[in-house]
Amino acid sequence: MKPTVVKIDNLVKRYGELVALDHFSLEIKEGEIFGLLGPNGSGKTTTINCLLSLLSYDKGDIEVFGKEMTPVSYDTKSQIGVIMQNVAVIDELTVRENIDYFCGLYVLDKAKRKECVDEAIKFVGLEEFENFRPKKLSGGLLRRLNIACGIAHKPKLIILDEPTVAVDPQSRNRILEGIQELNRNGATVIYTSHYMEEVEQICTRIAIMDKGRKVAEGTKDELKSMIRNTESITIEILELPEDVRAKIASQPHVYETEYDGNKLTVRCSGGRHNLIRILGVLQEAELGFGRVYSELPTLNDVFLEITGKALRDSKE
Amino acid sequence: MFLHNFKYELKMVLRQREFIMWLMLFPIALGTLFKVAFGSIYSNNDMFKSIPVAVVNAQEGTVLNEIFRSLGEGEDAALAITYADEEWAKELLFDGKVSGIIVVDNDVSLQVAGKGIKQSILEEIVSRCNMYQEVIGQAMITGDETELRKVIAELGKEVNACRDVSPAADNPDVYVQYFYNLIAMVAICGSLTGLHVATSSQANQSELGARKNCSPTPKFKHLSAAFLGSCVAQGVSMILCVTFLKFVLQINFGGNLFLLYAAAVLSGCLGVALGFFGGSIGRLKYEIKSAILLSCSMVMCFLSGLMVGNIKGFLAERMPWVNRINPVAIISDSFYCLNMYSDYRRFFTKVLGMVIYITAFIVFGALFSRRKKYASL
Repeated sequence: MKPTVVKIDNLVKRYGELVALDHFSLEIKEGEIFGLLGPNGSGKTTTINCLLSLLSYDKGDIEVFGKEMTPVSYDTKSQIGVIMQNVAVIDELTVRENIDYFCGLYVLDKAKRKECVDEAIKFVGLEEFENFRPKKLSGGLLRRLNIACGIAHKPKLIILDEPTVAVDPQSRNRILEGIQELNRNGATVIYTSHYMEEVEQICTRIAIMDKGRKVAEGTKDELKSMIRNTESITIEILELPEDVRAKIASQPHVYETEYDGNKLTVRCSGGRHNLIRILGVLQEAELGFGRVYSELPTLNDVFLEITGKALRDSKE
Repeated sequence: MFLHNFKYELKMVLRQREFIMWLMLFPIALGTLFKVAFGSIYSNNDMFKSIPVAVVNAQEGTVLNEIFRSLGEGEDAALAITYADEEWAKELLFDGKVSGIIVVDNDVSLQVAGKGIKQSILEEIVSRCNMYQEVIGQAMITGDETELRKVIAELGKEVNACRDVSPAADNPDVYVQYFYNLIAMVAICGSLTGLHVATSSQANQSELGARKNCSPTPKFKHLSAAFLGSCVAQGVSMILCVTFLKFVLQINFGGNLFLLYAAAVLSGCLGVALGFFGGSIGRLKYEIKSAILLSCSMVMCFLSGLMVGNIKGFLAERMPWVNRINPVAIISDSFYCLNMYSDYRRFFTKVLGMVIYITAFIVFGALFSRRKKYASL
């Protein structure tokens, strides 16, 4: 059994009347890439800030590497790397100086620090830009610099709070590959995002948060098995009489149908050959149709089913 | 760790655009502007030149004849007198060779051919002569010798009060006060660097602060390194400013250069400490805080006489406490005292005032920023 790196127990955090974290608990094992998913305002960043001992909280316990986390847990802090949601670099320093500055807050030895800085620059692919000031960098390069500043000291626990916001697909891909590489090199990673595909791509275990509570936790497959939807069938069809739609809805394992005038979406829960049965109904009614897709549930389906489809405010 | 932080803080501050703009370029520009403005005042200043005047002695052997004779004597004579009869005097006035005609009879009368500083001074001299003559005359009429002595003594006092004497024999020039205020302004604008120190160390005020607070470096260490780095950078800008004014613009700040530079560096630290204190309180955005600090600095500079020279004297008369608590006034007064008084008692009193301010700002700033956890970010 792998040792626990982070243990959050029964955490409660209030902002006046608003309960940001409501008896939130979590356990992250060594070597995991743990995804913290949730809509805006669900409490992801608050959890991270409490974990880093930046925020005070009303109730609960937080342990990192088996020790209680406090603002003066300097030994523990030296093993953590943080990549904040917003880029936190110094505009007046060059790329190399920025990385050296932040690395210097963790690594005292100059020679070792130089080695770390060189590796970090290479890791994020900023070799050509090391003498550039941050203002000269594009959004993607800036994000990569932000990451380099957080990981240069080779931390054992890396916390990334939505590191790919406003990043182009190439840079995003590079960042995600980098995170997986850091993990392969032994780092435990906590990754918060609301980009489902990213989380699905890199996380070994995922917790879904909503309204300050953990509403689901498990591997991708475990989460997918928690929801009713096992197959979504989409058929392009221009005309769909009500009696045909009712017949489709009455097929075994079909629990929901949606028709917008162009496209029919049928959601099934379990069963086999659902697609053949539905197409059979359409052929029997002699209705023509266009393209047909059959999709297995994604994390997005899991997320929407668990947290609901209602719009959230963007306050967190 | 301390040196690492110190080195980078120094780099950061010296590369900041606001720092270069407000603390290096602006004072050079303003200093040059002052020099150009006041330089032309000096060259056109008639107060220090003798005023050409024609004196017509209608009566001889009176005290008034003696007074005018003495006013026309010596190296720094107030008047350049040409004794003439009435006709010649008018000719001289018409030709513009004299600024006025003074006719000494039972009383003194003045004829001028225009308006200006010279004519005003002549008018003042003539009206004073007439006033003295009348006062003394009245006293003589009463026949009371004690009263007469008293009147003469009082008139003598009035004359003494008008003399401007510099005990340190340095520069009693009123315009140099603007340059003292300019240095004080540069010092107090150091609050911008102090503000940067405070906000960049608070997790609830900047992302940078949050990142620093996540590191294993104790807050005290990166705060003290950043503060010291800012003070050194500010000190450099103060030294540059004073050097530019003293050696390029040739402003006479008196003889004691070491104390002048020391006071300038200390005043820079006062500016940084003020900014640190301001940055530590409240949760306003950096831009808002810097706007508030800059506005407050400008108000303090105004009250110290940077924009209107007389304001300080006005406040000294009506609200002397303002000058006593205004940091900019304390800074500029320290330079004034250093220049004007031969003993350093007053200067060191001002320096003590600065030290008290610095200590208070640092202590309260540290108290406000000592927090390690925040209720919200």
